[in-house]
Amino acid sequence: MEYIKKCPLFIVLMGTGLFFTLIGMLGKSNIYAGQEYDPVTTPALALMFRGVNDDIYPWQILDGGSTPVMAVSSGQKDTETSAEDGTGSEGQKEAGISAQNDGQGENGTVGENDGQKKPGEEASPSPSPAQETDDAPLERLAPLRESTHDEYLNHISADIYGDAGVRRAAAYEFDKVDESYFDDALFIGDSRTVGLRDYTDLSDHGDFYCETSLTIHKVMEEDFGGKGTIEDALENRDYGKIYLMVGINELGRGTTENYMEAYTEVVDKLRELEPEAKIFVQAVMRVSGEKSDSDAIFNNSNINARNNAIATLADNRQIFYIDVNEVVCDEEGNLNAEYTHDKIHLLGMYNELWKEFLLAHGVLND
Amino acid sequence: MVSFSSLEFLFRFLPVFLGIYFAVPAKYRESSLLLGSIIFYAVGEPVFILALILCTLVNYYFGMEIWKLGIGFEIHGWQKKKRNSLMIQAVVLDTAVLIVFKCLAVFVDSSLLPVGISFYIFKMISFQADFIRGEIWSKPSFRQTAVYFTMFPQIVQGPIMRYHEGDFEHEKHVSLEQLEEGLAYFVMGLGMKALLADRLAILWKDLQMIGFQSISTPLAWLGAFGYSLQLYFDFWGYSLMASGLLVMLGYPFVENFNHPYASRSISEFYRRWHMTLGSWFRDYVYIPMGGSRGRKPRIVFNLALVWILTGLWHGNGFNYLIWGGILGLFIILEKLFLGNMLKKIPAAGNIYVLALIPLTWVVFAITDLKKLGIYFSRLFPFMGGPGIAVNQQDIITYGMNYGIYFIVGIVLCIPAVFKFVDKHKKNPITVLALALVFWASVYFLSSSAGNPFMYLNF
Repeated sequence: MEYIKKCPLFIVLMGTGLFFTLIGMLGKSNIYAGQEYDPVTTPALALMFRGVNDDIYPWQILDGGSTPVMAVSSGQKDTETSAEDGTGSEGQKEAGISAQNDGQGENGTVGENDGQKKPGEEASPSPSPAQETDDAPLERLAPLRESTHDEYLNHISADIYGDAGVRRAAAYEFDKVDESYFDDALFIGDSRTVGLRDYTDLSDHGDFYCETSLTIHKVMEEDFGGKGTIEDALENRDYGKIYLMVGINELGRGTTENYMEAYTEVVDKLRELEPEAKIFVQAVMRVSGEKSDSDAIFNNSNINARNNAIATLADNRQIFYIDVNEVVCDEEGNLNAEYTHDKIHLLGMYNELWKEFLLAHGVLND
Repeated sequence: MVSFSSLEFLFRFLPVFLGIYFAVPAKYRESSLLLGSIIFYAVGEPVFILALILCTLVNYYFGMEIWKLGIGFEIHGWQKKKRNSLMIQAVVLDTAVLIVFKCLAVFVDSSLLPVGISFYIFKMISFQADFIRGEIWSKPSFRQTAVYFTMFPQIVQGPIMRYHEGDFEHEKHVSLEQLEEGLAYFVMGLGMKALLADRLAILWKDLQMIGFQSISTPLAWLGAFGYSLQLYFDFWGYSLMASGLLVMLGYPFVENFNHPYASRSISEFYRRWHMTLGSWFRDYVYIPMGGSRGRKPRIVFNLALVWILTGLWHGNGFNYLIWGGILGLFIILEKLFLGNMLKKIPAAGNIYVLALIPLTWVVFAITDLKKLGIYFSRLFPFMGGPGIAVNQQDIITYGMNYGIYFIVGIVLCIPAVFKFVDKHKKNPITVLALALVFWASVYFLSSSAGNPFMYLNF
């Protein structure tokens, strides 16, 4: 009792600190299993705070135990746990795209005719896998291989699709358009798209649903600072074009498979909600060379691998893949250092390049 | 480098160190602080720890030589001469070390500047000079001297404590009351750093991300004020943490900031901002040069020299020289006539300080002179045209996102507010509020550090 009078703050901090440590310890192999944890540098209580930051709250330990609580937070958390618990490839099979792969075996040949259908694609027109004519939409490609456990652990986005998707998408001849083309456009994206909104006049034409730190896993849940969800937006208005650029924030999470799975779901959902709209899958903008060379996660090899994946979604009829990196990168394929200060975002004035690029990559109905 | 606002320091180094420091008998406290400080520094600077140790040995040697010549009832002329010449040798040597490392950092690689060298060399210089100035009354032991130079609360960013302020001749008796008081200061400082300065730092980063040519004039001003608050709470917060740690360890509190933004002139501002640096330049450069005595041209020269040196001390860019030059210029003008003018009009001094200081911080912040020019053309658009791709609405977004930090920051700039909190440290409400501040800070530190999934948001 004497102590609480003499040093109340010290006692309060010690008490709460021990309590938070206990929570961290209890949840370490439970709700916080998805977190990387190095006991030498990090106190156990940091697990709890990081959890809160990820929308995982301490009381979830109570309903935790054997049932995976992670499912509450996001699909990706789920994957991490299973990969941690079991052997890597099994964990990924469960959560990843293994359902598709099972039919395909190990030879992993890619061919348009070989493309696999995913559930949820019912909405897409003519699933006939047969021949390629100019009119037929391209089939989705299957990956060449699976991500390895090592790649997962080291946050390496495996290039499991190769550039086949990118090459076929690039065969499409886009039309030049003017600004009024964007009058019925919806732009969805992270802070990069915020830049496009704030520093070009595209926001006078299209609608922007963008938010800093948006990930593909949150696209359909996000309410964009009170504006409402994407679903609300699509209900309230008929959009002719939907532009997506999401993918840099989740680079350190999960595998290319997880990203691709979530991306595919989003694209299919958008098609279902707005069947007439053209969907523009935009390649994730790269980072500058200095950043790319020094960052184990936010580097261009990871970005390219994920771009190669989403490019395979293009059918060149309703879904198109466009790559703004063509106009903002240097010869080495890194974001031009002169166009950026923080090595990640375009300086305000250079968003104009992006806008010009979009004007040169329109799709007009014939 | 291990910084105070890191999980490693808060939950690894500090608890272990404090546990040992409190557990050992009083006579071993100094040794444990010395050992702890060396470990603290060596973790961040495994190579340059040698420079620190070497400088400590050399300075102790010189100090002792000077001390020996000062013993006795009467000090002879030759002794005085010898003492002065030894002191000058030591100071020249220390200054040379600092200059060599600064040059290495400028011309070779910036990683060659040992952490905290600007601070510990200044301590060493003051140590030598204080023998002559008669401010060191009892013979310092080697352990005391080494603790003074290397002590981890001050090694990275000061405050530049004087030897006699450390009260080294007394054994350190620690008490729970002192622990509590120091902890309260530490938590206040941590909160200023993690909850205010680090949040406002994102605003400044955003302005750089957008590019200065594209920010609206109101946003440019918001940025200048935001940076002024950021720097203040970063540095004041750090100083409070440092002094809080000292108090916990049984040493006196060293004041480094005294509500500078409430000043009425630039010279007053710099008597209240980073006070230990200002008084260092006053005592070891300005006054030895003649100070404010003598004729006006001499005073102007002394002031100009002090402020150019202050500029050089702060960093390697040319902008720091401009920054020091501008401050020197205004302080000279104040000395000549501006000071008297400002005193005559009520509130004029406050407005002058609050308008001018943020502009000088902009000069301080932007090392690229071309970009600095662009920023000023956005602050004063009649000078530089309309900018490129400016979003005129940007102030609304940023005002809403950062408004809360400005409000809290401005409230804390009012001297009475901090004094009120300081006075009521023991009040249960304050205690709970401080605990909340601590854990909120830890929340931000945990979620932004060391988490590969969350460490950046784009």
